Amino acid sequence: MDPDRFFLTLATSSDPSERVVDRAPARLKSRIYSALVSCQASIGPLLSLSETKAAGRGLCVFESALCVVPAGERLNSLNPCRVCHARVLGERLESAPIFWRHCPYAEFHRK
Amino acid sequence: MAEFVERHTDSVYAYVRHRLLPRTDLVDDVVQDVFLAALEGLGRFTGESSLRVWLLGIARHKVEDYYRARLREPESVSELDHDLLAAGDFPRLEEMIDRERVEEKTSDILRQLPETYSVALLWRYWELRSTKDMAASTGKTEKAIERILARARAHFRQLWEGK
Repeated sequence: MDPDRFFLTLATSSDPSERVVDRAPARLKSRIYSALVSCQASIGPLLSLSETKAAGRGLCVFESALCVVPAGERLNSLNPCRVCHARVLGERLESAPIFWRHCPYAEFHRK
Repeated sequence: MAEFVERHTDSVYAYVRHRLLPRTDLVDDVVQDVFLAALEGLGRFTGESSLRVWLLGIARHKVEDYYRARLREPESVSELDHDLLAAGDFPRLEEMIDRERVEEKTSDILRQLPETYSVALLWRYWELRSTKDMAASTGKTEKAIERILARARAHFRQLWEGK
């Protein structure tokens, strides 16, 4: 068999479009989400928690708690996930034991 | 943002993973780079294609960056038998009916090959890039790329035939 034909046939027979799509690990999704939020935060302030809520995304238990702290808009626009243990677990473990509602890391691991 | 990650990571991951085989250790970093590049370039997304297609375009560029970097490295070639390079026909693939086995064997061999060789084969046959393109992208001559490919094919064949 001609070498080019051999390799082209091999390449076709292992075409990913015909395979079951690999699911990305939940810890990778968690890592990407954290990186994107950090990147966004470095460009400018994030949406405040009240704006986030108004846009239709539910707040997790910690974000809800932050909302009732009378600390002003600046604290409200911080990224609380940065100091949350759910993020740490989510980025390091597959099937991390995080279960509360409206936590993006818990969502990645639930699916 | 979380929805964006949830919706698109699987397809980018599948693409990058397949294209970087056998270097699965690099997949996570490349996929993350794709999303960071997408965030930076979001202003350039015109909406002419779907977001998924746009992301896969970025992924293709990131994978090519990797291929290019590997092929630009000075060649560290093991001495191959001249007879092996000049050997005749390759085995007939049609005779291997078990497709899964072919895939498994292919990725096993790609994993065993020196990185330059596996990258050259992936770029040429899986990405369907011409040797001219590969030469232009890496700053090597077409002859140099042909030489790498010839050695890569010979190595591959040697392993395929279990020698």
